[in-house]
Amino acid sequence: MIATLPPAIPLASVLGAALLLRQLDRRREGEGLPGAALVWISLLPLALVTAAPMSVGPARGALVAALAVALLARDRQDVGQSECALKLTWVFGAALALSWAGDSLLAIAAGTAVPAEQWNVLSLQLDPYGLWAGALALALLAGAVLLGGAPFHFWLADVFHGSRPHLAPLVVAAPQAAGAAWLAQRLAGIDGFPDGEAFAGGLLSLAAAVALVGGAATLATQRRPERRVGTLASLQGALVLAAYAADPGLTPFAEVRGGLAAWATHLALALTAAGALARFLSVESGADDPPVVLFRRHPASAALGAFALLSLAGAPFTPGMFLWLAVGRRLAATGHPGLLLAVALAWLVSFSVATGELRRAFGSPDGRPAPARGVPWPAHAAFAVCAACLAALAWSWWPR
Amino acid sequence: MTSTLRKRLAGTFASAVGVALLAIPRPAAAALGVEAIAFAFWAWARAATDRREQVARWSWLRRPALALWLAAALALALPPAPPPATSPGPLGVPQLVRTIAPDERDPLRTLRALQAVAVLWAGLELMAAMPLSRPFPDLTGPLPAAGPWLPAMLPAAGFLVLWRQQAIWTQAPLVREVAGIALWLAAALAVLRAFTRRPWTASLRWLAVFDSALAAMLVGFRIVPGEAAFLLWFAAAGGRLVALAAELHGAAGRRGPGLTRLWRLAGWTAGATLAWPLLVGVGFADRAFRPVEFLLLAAPVTLASLLSLRRVVEVPERRAEPRFDVGRVAGLLGAVTTLLLGPAALLLAWWAGFEASFPGAIVALLPPLLGAVPRPPAGAGLPPVLRGPAATGAREFAQSVFRSVTWFEARLSAALAALLRAMGAPARDLHSGDAQEYLLFMAGVGVLALLLPLFR
Repeated sequence: MIATLPPAIPLASVLGAALLLRQLDRRREGEGLPGAALVWISLLPLALVTAAPMSVGPARGALVAALAVALLARDRQDVGQSECALKLTWVFGAALALSWAGDSLLAIAAGTAVPAEQWNVLSLQLDPYGLWAGALALALLAGAVLLGGAPFHFWLADVFHGSRPHLAPLVVAAPQAAGAAWLAQRLAGIDGFPDGEAFAGGLLSLAAAVALVGGAATLATQRRPERRVGTLASLQGALVLAAYAADPGLTPFAEVRGGLAAWATHLALALTAAGALARFLSVESGADDPPVVLFRRHPASAALGAFALLSLAGAPFTPGMFLWLAVGRRLAATGHPGLLLAVALAWLVSFSVATGELRRAFGSPDGRPAPARGVPWPAHAAFAVCAACLAALAWSWWPR
Repeated sequence: MTSTLRKRLAGTFASAVGVALLAIPRPAAAALGVEAIAFAFWAWARAATDRREQVARWSWLRRPALALWLAAALALALPPAPPPATSPGPLGVPQLVRTIAPDERDPLRTLRALQAVAVLWAGLELMAAMPLSRPFPDLTGPLPAAGPWLPAMLPAAGFLVLWRQQAIWTQAPLVREVAGIALWLAAALAVLRAFTRRPWTASLRWLAVFDSALAAMLVGFRIVPGEAAFLLWFAAAGGRLVALAAELHGAAGRRGPGLTRLWRLAGWTAGATLAWPLLVGVGFADRAFRPVEFLLLAAPVTLASLLSLRRVVEVPERRAEPRFDVGRVAGLLGAVTTLLLGPAALLLAWWAGFEASFPGAIVALLPPLLGAVPRPPAGAGLPPVLRGPAATGAREFAQSVFRSVTWFEARLSAALAALLRAMGAPARDLHSGDAQEYLLFMAGVGVLALLLPLFR
């Protein structure tokens, strides 16, 4: 029986799967071992962030964002990745700049740069409401952008669409984990300032509702599987926002063994396998699709990848289900029926889209023999590694 | 083992497990059960020769499964509900405006209502009582041999969902009333459709929908205990399923005058025992006669009993010397069981406290008995011009009513879907763009963040 999953295991699994998926990348030819080592060393800090998100302060959060951009921008010949890097630069750069402005305004208003001390000073109500409220809204912005909840969900889908399968999961998961940590640190001790807590709660409720409903609507209208994986990741960010909205002073997923780190670990694992799976799925055309090669020739391997996709969507009996349930229970316990309704809607859409994607991948057999060329072994190995780790997570979270 | 056979076996296993899971009174089990049935239809459809058509035809089965998953998720997320308010009784006027004491307030009541609606949605959709799934009993299923029988399994699944999950959907405000209307409409349309369809197999599928809708009303209005409602439904709808299986087995239920008469009697008895408590409970609720409700229910009941008696006609025996047939023996047993089960269920209901007022008990017998009135000799009492076209005219009228209602429902659903698509269209524009647009968007959000506190 696994009591808790040591963080080193998912960390090694994510990095191992990334290296395996790199084997599938034809554009890496000629890079050799130094190229692989460089990628691995660059991915290591991102993986560490997902394993221990609470250790990431604002400065480290900015570094994570910069590293993600640098990883994407490294290959200038790759048009897709370069475009993603440019987009992330604009989005992250602007969000971080605005949040630092907000932080600075709060520091000016409170006379201290330490968030936990700022609330006590602000509770004396010496500063005008507009000043601290505007500053707080700006200060939270970077967290919301890094989490990728709608309307900031475009960058996650773009990264999965435009970048390589071994880079995309950590380039998405690490900034999201940093975003969650950003909010945790910015909101630490806010329960000592009831007006601020109420304002932050209202703001986060609005952000979470928009993120959940917008993400669900986007998911339903998307056609490309990899973009859908990106939007599912954005819904995970929306879950974090909803958990903060329920209780701004409490770290999300405290009900799940491992807390926020468990959420980030699950996110990285599920995105690695689901992102890889999406590369083997066809774009939805509306017509009746034949089965894709992976599902036709390697159904067992496809099932492992499907498990990750379903877990990302929070499907029943997957580890992702516990995360959605934890947020739902917190919202119910704190009396947020509207937000819980949005969570239910988003969950229903994501579960429906994920199962629909899998049904489409199995397709309708047309009687023709399966293609001679199969899917290379590194993909199977990556699916197996991630699925095994996700199953262990589910086992460790299962209530006993 | 060939791939096709594997898929068919997988489907059969999944459907058996699915139906078994529906008997468990937990929403998660029901969700898993309906999901398994949806999987079974998908697996069978993928193995069919017309697989593309079949896969598309039965893809709607995921909707009730999703609705039940939603109910299951809400059951896990929501804390236990406070004790329910007193019920106004069957078809009573619900108290829409009532002063609620502060300690009675439940902030999650909207979500509890959503949970009830989700269960109801799943049950109604499986019973062809929702616009989007209404026409499915007209279609054959994806298995070659049992194809015409399979769709009749779905209303049974719908009833099982509504029966076993009744604790969820019968307590929410207004949900029972909405369910009553939807079930009445489903029953009325089903019996009209059964009347218009010429093949007896198609009519039997629609009659199974009719019986399931009546039984669900018994459950929803709590007229008889759930177990008695189940037995009444099992006799009526189960009898139709057995009759349908016998029909597909060379019309085994209509071979020979004795067996034909027995099936006629069994079908009528089961239908009458199902309809009688409902007519008593709704038409004579609170010991007062409610003529509108009674007549609305009596009309389809009369038509259904008419169909049960008049459409079961003996088929000519083609063999010179009849041989022993296992199917015939099974059909005989099925008919006897159907015949006995309905009255036994009524006895159980009476034992559990069901009471029929006088003269309600007698009046409620009239609609089924009207169907048993012998048909007059051809043309008796009618001028020659009305003899032939009368039945045809009634059938055409029933068909036009059914088609008008389904046409209206289809248009309404399409309009709602178009509205939803239009509302979701901006989402498509939001998730793709170029880098400069993203920067502008971020600048806009920054300004909004500064302005937001001013709208306090």
